[in-house]
Amino acid sequence: MGFMEATLSQYFLNCSSGEGCEGMREVLLNTGSTIEEGRLAKGGNKLGPEYVEECAVCEISHVDYAELGFPDRVRIWTPDRKHSVAVHARPARSLQPGQIFMPRAIWSNLVVDPDTFSTGSPLYKGSPVIIEPTQEDVLSAAEIVRRHYSRGKR
Amino acid sequence: MTEIILEVKGPIGLTVEAEAVCPHRLSGLAPGEIEAQLVWQGPAQLPLSDFFEVEVREGEGEVRIAIEGDASRIKRIGQGMRSGCIEIDGSCGMHLGEEMEGGSILVRGNAGSWAGMEMRGGLLEIEGDAGDHVGSAHRGSWRGMSGGEIRIGGSAKSQLGGGMIGGKISVARDVQNFCAIRQSGGLILVHGRAVRGVGAEMTGGVAAVLGGIERFSPGFVETGMEEDPVLGGEKRPGTFIRYCGDYAISKNPKGTLFVRG
Amino acid sequence: MMFRNLVCPVCGASCDDIQVEMTAEGIVAKNACKMGNAKFQELASPHRIRQPLICQGGEMLPSGWEEALDRAADILASSSRPLIFIGSETSCEAMEVGLHLGEYLGGVVDSNSTVCHGPTAMGIQEAGRVGATAGQSKNRADLTVYWGSNPLESMPRHMSRYAVYPRGYWTRRGRFDRTVITVDPRRSLTAENSDLHIQLNPNTDFELLSALLALLHGQQPHPSAEEVTGVAIRQMEEMLELMKGCNYGVIYAGLGMASSYGKHRNAEMAFHLVQELNNHTKFVIGALRGHCNVAGFNQVASYLYGYPFGLDFSRGYPRYNPGEFTAVDLLRERDVDAALVVCADLVSHFPADCASYLGEIPMICIDIASCPTTMLSDVVLPGVIDAMECDGTFYRLDDVPIYFQPFTASPFPFTASNQHTLQQLMERVRGRKEAGS
Repeated sequence: MGFMEATLSQYFLNCSSGEGCEGMREVLLNTGSTIEEGRLAKGGNKLGPEYVEECAVCEISHVDYAELGFPDRVRIWTPDRKHSVAVHARPARSLQPGQIFMPRAIWSNLVVDPDTFSTGSPLYKGSPVIIEPTQEDVLSAAEIVRRHYSRGKR
Repeated sequence: MTEIILEVKGPIGLTVEAEAVCPHRLSGLAPGEIEAQLVWQGPAQLPLSDFFEVEVREGEGEVRIAIEGDASRIKRIGQGMRSGCIEIDGSCGMHLGEEMEGGSILVRGNAGSWAGMEMRGGLLEIEGDAGDHVGSAHRGSWRGMSGGEIRIGGSAKSQLGGGMIGGKISVARDVQNFCAIRQSGGLILVHGRAVRGVGAEMTGGVAAVLGGIERFSPGFVETGMEEDPVLGGEKRPGTFIRYCGDYAISKNPKGTLFVRG
Repeated sequence: MMFRNLVCPVCGASCDDIQVEMTAEGIVAKNACKMGNAKFQELASPHRIRQPLICQGGEMLPSGWEEALDRAADILASSSRPLIFIGSETSCEAMEVGLHLGEYLGGVVDSNSTVCHGPTAMGIQEAGRVGATAGQSKNRADLTVYWGSNPLESMPRHMSRYAVYPRGYWTRRGRFDRTVITVDPRRSLTAENSDLHIQLNPNTDFELLSALLALLHGQQPHPSAEEVTGVAIRQMEEMLELMKGCNYGVIYAGLGMASSYGKHRNAEMAFHLVQELNNHTKFVIGALRGHCNVAGFNQVASYLYGYPFGLDFSRGYPRYNPGEFTAVDLLRERDVDAALVVCADLVSHFPADCASYLGEIPMICIDIASCPTTMLSDVVLPGVIDAMECDGTFYRLDDVPIYFQPFTASPFPFTASNQHTLQQLMERVRGRKEAGS
């Protein structure tokens, strides 16, 4: 019934300045549209390389970005460590410390909290996540599907 | 006492809605008739015996239903219950004891969302954790629980006691968001902590959080201190701050919120 | 050849002034934004799905229309509890058929509007709404509040066509006659172009709205409100003075309000705030609905079945309970056994637990281009592009119906529109069910 996941979200609720051990930060994930994401999605380009460059991206505040050691790529984890995804990291002035932004797409939604608080709508804004630098490659949307979602079928 | 023992046969796929599992609906029925009672799985109506082994121990007086095994995918147990008792060995699904008027329900595990929705009387006890909307009003309805008592041994999620007008809810551990939302009567007692939105839109009744609130509702105004107040018939030791609210929703609210100072 | 006054099928703005020229070099769309232009190019794009696909031995293979339709009907007719998910960017007419199909099968019908402004709709049910059409706000509003929305990126023409820049009857100087406030934890493009940016902490919309209401009721909010929201009481008061002092104010609520922690309670508080502001001036609120015709599903489902989204038909009559009968919850709790996805990419846009369950159950999908959802489908039926290849109705973000006409026809001999596809599927499902009973 998702009770445990919910208590974990509660744990991160007040994380206004990300904290954690060396090289790892607990932050709040904000997802949303960007104009280029919209252009590519509406143009039917969800499986192309340009979509990866535009949407497999995590914007991080300058402060957090420096403390993470200016990484090229980061891995984002759900608090229960059940799901994670590697994406390109980019510093952004638009964000406060403790917050990250990702365009809405298959990468960000992998780590969005599925609890809906009995509303039917998951926590697309303000999901608690853990972020750490990584050397791993960023997967394309098709690879994400094959690696994470194809268990039952193909 | 007539005892009806229902043993869950095995893992349940799609969730089952079993409002038939309720003492006054099964009272006076022969074992075969109980087995033939219909429950819903999706759009299909199937006999109770598809999901439970049924055993009946005849006796005098009230009916006691004992459910053994994992009932976490079975909804609406004890819906509209009037008398008798239900004991659930493990966990159960949503809508437990919804609109119950009397009798008692005991769950040893967890209960899903909407337990005790718009309850009018009786006792609902959940030893484990509860989901959202415990004792609250149904969608679109303004009045939640109006009588009886809900006791939760673990924690509850969000919207506990929404629209409550009477009765009592106690939670041994923590609650999440919007506990006591739109409460206008009755008592809610949380022994642990609450996350946010306690008493939002509250216009009457009493809510008390003994373990502290992470984010206080902005529309509550301090009205004084109380030493060892009596809440729910019991003296609670310590200094409590009394608040009145919710001023976000009304200019003259009468909701009382106690928080340990 | 030039076509004028076309409706764009991309976002909730449903712009109805698009001009399209079909030239030898390609399609030129005028007045459309970046997103709209990309969609108009889809008419001739190389990645358009041009024939039905069926999954065989783990591979998606081209198939005939009849064969694909049979396979889809088999999946639906043999399922115990199918989920019919109707996305946006499709007509109300197609949505109506989808809802009837769900009723016939005793399944669950849900839509994009649930994960979009579902919580806002729930807030309306709790509190009621003071609303207005986009035209009214354009002509009157001298204060525009973007709350948790970033229209410069999500609805590029909202500011220029409806809300901020256009000259209205009582706002003759356009932008100069309007004040713009943005409430957003992020300094978004929209925030940068506003007069006042309230940069609240994430997930604190409820506390901010509640504090504003307490101030409006003459009470100082609980002192912790400043620290929780990250907004000084002084700044809240400044915002409130602007709101009370305007002639006509409008809040455009975005997903920052509906989708963050607090959900429908955030929306409910915003509706209460707007109601109270009407004691001081004229104030309205509307949802900034991201996708085209998400508003339409709420309208169609409400007039047909009484509820705006998340409809369960398992008892033969509609039931509504978000959290129980909504797509994300049903998939997370593994409580459906087949899915029909119409014009939506659920695998990309649902959380991981839900998306991976879609990979386990049989799925049929109607779409125009390959995407993660088509990759996991058992049957893919090619989609027809509404407003370009067939006619129908969209509801605009302000719940105004817009009838659209096509400028070309469906490229397929076997279906004229998504509505037609669903009607054919419905007939086949009916045939199987009647033969079986």
